[in-house]
Amino acid sequence: MSAIWAQGLTKHFDEVRAVDGIDLDIAPGTIFGFLGQNGSGKTTTIRMLTTLLRPTAGSARVDGLDIRDDARAVRRRIGVALQEAGLDDIQTGRELLTLQARLFGLGGSAGRRRVQELLAIVDLEDAADRAIGTYSGGMKRRLDLAAGLVHRPGILFLDEPTTGLDPISREAIWRYVTQLSTNDGITIFLTTQYLEEADRLAHDLAIIDEGRIIARGSPAEMKARIGTDVVTVQVPAADHLDRAAEVAGAVAGVERVQVAAGAAVVYVPDGARAVARIVLALDDAGIEVGDVAISRPSLDDVFLEATGHHLQVEEPQAAEGGAA
Amino acid sequence: MQSIATVYFLTLRSLREAVRNPAQEAGNVLIPLFFFAVTVGSIGSIAADAFGVDNFTGFQVPVAILAAASSISASAGLGTITDIQRGYFDKLLLTPAPRSAIVFGRIAADGVRTVAITAFIVAVGLIFGTGFDTGVPGLLVLLVGSFGFGMAYSGFNAAIALRTGSPQAAAAGGLLLFPLIFLSTAFAPKDVFADWLQVLATINPITYVLEAQRSLIIEGWNGLDILWGATATLGFGVASFTLTFLALRWRTS
Repeated sequence: MSAIWAQGLTKHFDEVRAVDGIDLDIAPGTIFGFLGQNGSGKTTTIRMLTTLLRPTAGSARVDGLDIRDDARAVRRRIGVALQEAGLDDIQTGRELLTLQARLFGLGGSAGRRRVQELLAIVDLEDAADRAIGTYSGGMKRRLDLAAGLVHRPGILFLDEPTTGLDPISREAIWRYVTQLSTNDGITIFLTTQYLEEADRLAHDLAIIDEGRIIARGSPAEMKARIGTDVVTVQVPAADHLDRAAEVAGAVAGVERVQVAAGAAVVYVPDGARAVARIVLALDDAGIEVGDVAISRPSLDDVFLEATGHHLQVEEPQAAEGGAA
Repeated sequence: MQSIATVYFLTLRSLREAVRNPAQEAGNVLIPLFFFAVTVGSIGSIAADAFGVDNFTGFQVPVAILAAASSISASAGLGTITDIQRGYFDKLLLTPAPRSAIVFGRIAADGVRTVAITAFIVAVGLIFGTGFDTGVPGLLVLLVGSFGFGMAYSGFNAAIALRTGSPQAAAAGGLLLFPLIFLSTAFAPKDVFADWLQVLATINPITYVLEAQRSLIIEGWNGLDILWGATATLGFGVASFTLTFLALRWRTS
């Protein structure tokens, strides 16, 4: 049985098709990455799967339960940490986790033990009795993660768990996520706009753009599908870009060329040998060449190939951080 | 059973929030007491001759109680909006707890807060010589009534908060009670009103809530007044809780 399954899942807000008929089939125990830029439909999808939003059309099952007909039962089986750490600044960390445990029917000494265990897991024992309003951004995310785990869910939804965090806090979250998957076998549905995060954590990945899934597979499979090296040639004169793409595309061995972010992105086998031919051809055509880079395909290349544009990462205005 | 437990836990959480925010609670007490003092100070001395109310201080105690309930419910509406904006409301909705119980936790806390402030206002009134004609049993009835009214009125602000998510709308919601207070027998008995105002005061449910509370404080036991007051409070509750359920359904659909 799939941990998460969806068919034709759709959500419209008036005329806006936020999610436009997506299909999902996620195996138990995997970390599923849902990669896309802001506004692509990631959060709307997660809100439907976690029963916070009713789909406009389509159906979905989480742990075998229908998200419409068995919504309360679904909520018993999932843990969720939404994009904005949903916390109450006036409570202490311990009080918040204790309340969360009680709302899941875990009271008394069992509840207290579980809260203490979670505080230890997310390294918040020392801060447990301080008001959450005094926590750093990284501490809030860790507490939010702990709140999602209080009832030992089999499936965990994480909506951009590291957006806005500093590298140390981000690394800490990645470590917890990996441990949850490896040690506890929890299925993790993780949305992200960070390529590195998707590449490092996800066993299975879907790229969503404008409400539709446009690529699917493991990160390695997706990159292998490109099948070539990537030669990125910066072209300083913007009005020469299309001509540069045309010239590079005519070079022997080149499979295709895309124009993105002031560069011609050339897909060619054995890029190290081809780069000289490409640069010479551009020079002969009178096109000034800037920096040139050769790389193995990255998820950014996969994203670019699938969407025609690079993934735009939007950080919150006031980035939160601090692992302390 | 799960609903009752949810309401209980979330009531405790809201009360803890109130205790940790004493400035807000002080405002909920001091502003009604300010108007109470000003009203009694300005027309208290002529009340007996002008419209036959001997104990005008006691006459004004219920007005202060209702004003406090209004202030409490406005701050609770803001609390709900803060929860929505911070995402904590979503976190609560993601638990298996019944969703209506999640909202009623805060509403019940408003009832408890209204009881506490009612007791304080009655104590202040006693210090200034209002007396309490029905004694301790009457005080208990007044506190039960305040609990009911605090919850019933809080429902309106919960509905506004859930439907709009707007702090400004929630703050304005707390003021909705004031026109009703001014169009009731808050400051004088109905029989000295102009005809048009008598009509409005007669159809205004706040009049009956005030009269019931007054009867307990300055008139002695009057079953009919208490019955009308309870009916008006119940009517408020039915209306406000219906709106709250509709707003909750809208927010979670």
